[in-house]
Amino acid sequence: MKESTRTRLGCREFLRYSSVAVVAGFLTVGAATTTLAAEESINFNGWSAAVDLVESHITAFEKKTGIEVKYGNLPWAQYRDAMVTKFVGKAPLDVMWVSDAWLPEWAEAGWIQPVDQFKELTKYNSDVDKFCTDSMTYKGQQYGLTYYTDYMGFFYNEEMLKKAGIAKPPETWAEVVEQSLKIKQAGLSEYPLMLAMANESWLIEFLSAMVFSQGGVFTDDAGNAIMQDPKKGAVEALKWVVEAVQRQKIVSPATVETGELAGLKSFAAGNHAFALEPKYRLRMLNDPKQSQVAGKVKQILMPKGPNGSHATVGWMRFYGVSKHALENPERAKNVVKFVEWFGGKAEGEYRFQKFLLTDIGAGFCTRPLFDDPDIRASYAKYAKIDIIAEQQRLARKKDVITPWFGEWNEFNGAMWQSAILDQISPEEALKKSADKWQTLKREQ
Amino acid sequence: MPPRPRLRLSGVISGKFDFEARAAALFLLPVTVVLVAVAVFPIGYSFYISLFQLKLTRPHRVPFVWLDNYAKILTDELFWSSAWRTFSFTVMSVTAISILAVLIALLLNETFRGRRFLAIILVAPWAIPTVANGLMWKWIYDSSFGALNGALLQLGMIDKYVVWLGDPEKTLPLIANAFVWKEVPLASILILVTMKSIPADLYRAAKVDGANVLQRFIHITLPSLRPGFMLVFIYETMMAIRHFDLFFILTEGGPAQASHVASWHIYVETFRNLSFGTGNALAYVMAIVTFALAYFIIRTLGRRL
Amino acid sequence: MLAKGGSKHARWKLRLSGWTRLAVIFLFSVVLAGYVLGPFVWLASSSIQNEREIISVPPHWVPEDPTLLNFKAIFLAQRKGVTYETRTQADPVSGGYIPSTAKNLLPSLWNSLIVAVSVVVLNLVVGIPAAYAMAKIRFRGRSTSIYFMLSTRVIPDIVLVVPFFLFISRLGLLDNVLSLIITYLAITVPFTVFILMSYFESLPDELDKAARVDGCSRFQTLTLVFLPLALPSVAAIVLFSFLTSWNEFLLALMFTQTIASQTMPIVIASFTSDFTISFSFINAAGVVAVVPPVLLAVVFERYIVSGMTAGAVKG
Repeated sequence: MKESTRTRLGCREFLRYSSVAVVAGFLTVGAATTTLAAEESINFNGWSAAVDLVESHITAFEKKTGIEVKYGNLPWAQYRDAMVTKFVGKAPLDVMWVSDAWLPEWAEAGWIQPVDQFKELTKYNSDVDKFCTDSMTYKGQQYGLTYYTDYMGFFYNEEMLKKAGIAKPPETWAEVVEQSLKIKQAGLSEYPLMLAMANESWLIEFLSAMVFSQGGVFTDDAGNAIMQDPKKGAVEALKWVVEAVQRQKIVSPATVETGELAGLKSFAAGNHAFALEPKYRLRMLNDPKQSQVAGKVKQILMPKGPNGSHATVGWMRFYGVSKHALENPERAKNVVKFVEWFGGKAEGEYRFQKFLLTDIGAGFCTRPLFDDPDIRASYAKYAKIDIIAEQQRLARKKDVITPWFGEWNEFNGAMWQSAILDQISPEEALKKSADKWQTLKREQ
Repeated sequence: MPPRPRLRLSGVISGKFDFEARAAALFLLPVTVVLVAVAVFPIGYSFYISLFQLKLTRPHRVPFVWLDNYAKILTDELFWSSAWRTFSFTVMSVTAISILAVLIALLLNETFRGRRFLAIILVAPWAIPTVANGLMWKWIYDSSFGALNGALLQLGMIDKYVVWLGDPEKTLPLIANAFVWKEVPLASILILVTMKSIPADLYRAAKVDGANVLQRFIHITLPSLRPGFMLVFIYETMMAIRHFDLFFILTEGGPAQASHVASWHIYVETFRNLSFGTGNALAYVMAIVTFALAYFIIRTLGRRL
Repeated sequence: MLAKGGSKHARWKLRLSGWTRLAVIFLFSVVLAGYVLGPFVWLASSSIQNEREIISVPPHWVPEDPTLLNFKAIFLAQRKGVTYETRTQADPVSGGYIPSTAKNLLPSLWNSLIVAVSVVVLNLVVGIPAAYAMAKIRFRGRSTSIYFMLSTRVIPDIVLVVPFFLFISRLGLLDNVLSLIITYLAITVPFTVFILMSYFESLPDELDKAARVDGCSRFQTLTLVFLPLALPSVAAIVLFSFLTSWNEFLLALMFTQTIASQTMPIVIASFTSDFTISFSFINAAGVVAVVPPVLLAVVFERYIVSGMTAGAVKG
């Protein structure tokens, strides 16, 4: 048969082609193999921020000390999850960036180690804001060296206030309402105040800033929940937000879907008169290439509530050191050198911290830098350094940072959102949140 | 029984065995090796962990608790509400995907100028990397400067910007829409491939019988598409149930748990709460339900299984 | 499609229905193109806007001040060792909102391509024989093996990452693209087999018998008779396994550490975590990332849409 002849002829041909294809496939795989880094190098992980600066500082470190560094960076949003996986999977990590919010859980899990025995690291504490040192201390032990801090700032759009005939920016939360209503009536902005209340890692910073400036707290000194307390707790702050959304309509009901970034962009689009934003965003907001309100955004102290102050919340990030890094004394020595180079001084100056500010506007804990002429010149381009320094002095550590923070935070965020959406009352939301806190505290 | 082919080198041993079974075993060997080597250990490990009360922040207290984790999660109210949300998300998505896929496949099955172009652009949604896709939809849905509000306002369909993801009523359908957009290309291709395998004779015969377009569609096309539907239902159901990325990027379970679906619940339990025991137990419950669904779909639509 | 002959009357009717058909096709094509391309057009348009224009209310569908800055940053990036002198500084004066990981995008695309192509090849090598065996050979445990394969894909990846990680680190493959090739193969091959199997089943058994009578071995029957006929579904699984690998995020996040192995989705996600975040840049990266899969579709689309096969079979 014709058919079968064709078939048989093709048999050998096909076998040849298919074997070539298989070999080619394996070659591709083989070519992709890369060699692993040498065991002696320091394994350093961070999230993908200021990557170029970090790399340049590593280049200088390697040149100076001859110690090799393997630097990996991961997206911030998934950084913690990836690190958890790597710790559980016993990956050889030495040094890593750690957020203040994770300190208790990472310390309890035994992933990061105290560094109190290294005097070449702790000697820098005298130059550092107390709030920063507190933020990397857990159960009396210090877990690393800080390199960056910032806080929640209160910004306003100067031009919009002028147009509405407002001479002086608000001092109190009551004035924020008053001025917002005026701006709304003048048709300058539908929702004059930008609050970003979406469920994300920023949420607790926004909530804490609102609560602290209203004179409240989430927990007392013994670590028990008093957020549900109508006077000392968080009730006043939440009520204010609910009123602003539901009744005064000065905050968009979309606030529960607006993340920090979306809120920032919306403020940069000129949609709002006031905004709570991380201080370092001031730089972007006044950059004409990125913002439509460049040159008009000013910072003032956080407005205060009737019983509150201009307090705000601050956060910080630090270099943590793993168990693996300290197991071998030789490696420990190298790791300490590395941490000092980044979190302390490099060749006699706070070089990394300084570049972080002049390159991208990220703040520092090391107070002497406020007097550095380069820093003053850099800030002067888009902000007033005195306000920045003054507000930083009023920044407070979050009072909910515990081993069960992650779990409570998830629940608490949902409760605040429910209240803002008018599904439950502010009192009930915080009551539930407080109960959750106490349950988790007991379990631990 | 088909006649035996020439004996090859390995054929010497084959004499003792059933040749058919041996051939099948040979053909299945590579895939079995891959799956046993790579997939079986993680699945077993996951079940093993689900029997411990493992909380990473309490590394020195990890008791073996039998099925306590399962009892614990099944009595959790949030588990049931999240399961319900996953159910509605899956039904919404799979229905929409199937209908759109059939319509698109019918269109691409016709011969007309430009259909190759359509087929190529159809791949675009599928090809956008997950993160860029999620951020794109976040941008489109944004209530204060988003493209959706912008477009609807310019078209005169709304007179004021609408709150999208922030409205708990709209959150799930909107996420489902983004999910469908990305999944439709594969589903259409699977249906189209099946459609191509319907013998043209069937249509010719039906035409001679005087069947109109609709009758031909109902009596020939749809029944012949059964294998395609089986693929699409199984694959898309599995994808919808376990879908995570868009929830992570768009809402993180919010607002106020409006998009707290089962996959998000598992993530929160495992990584936010660092409770690996209950997290893995949840995953196993989801796996069993998914498997049961797949089994049901194969039994109903599979021809020869 | 149209039958030949018939009365004058019938022909007229057919022509009318031909016009209706064209109208329906046209209308539906436009709707489909709009649905598929709508969001994509916005992605592309915003990728050539600057960060200031992209936040305009209402949005600018056509850029007023188009710029190729983002694409320049991707394609002209320096990838040498970084020193204090050569580091990028996101200075507001220069309007530098380009993320500092921008230079990693092209190397990561290369990694993604290596991974995806390898996974496709391995999928075909491993998946085709298995699918054929399941569809055409009667053996005990056949349906069990199908359910076994599917059961490897019912557990959500989010809890599998830890054991996967243990497995990969035991093999010493961390920060190596091989780790991704192995795991992606394992997550795609069950569906590959399932899709192909269902297609093989729709091909008549007589073909199998005829080929065997001709003296072809099982292997030859598969490669010479069935495979050419199954080209549409083979093309479908090429696209499926390529795109699944191309898009995969979670496992890549865990197994890769440096640009030696990081794939494109990880690098794109990294653009969202710097101190300056540019949506227009991320969208530009998204546009670039779509190109390779679309080129692949250009090659393989004909097998799917035209139902082109290397042989012919009358059902």
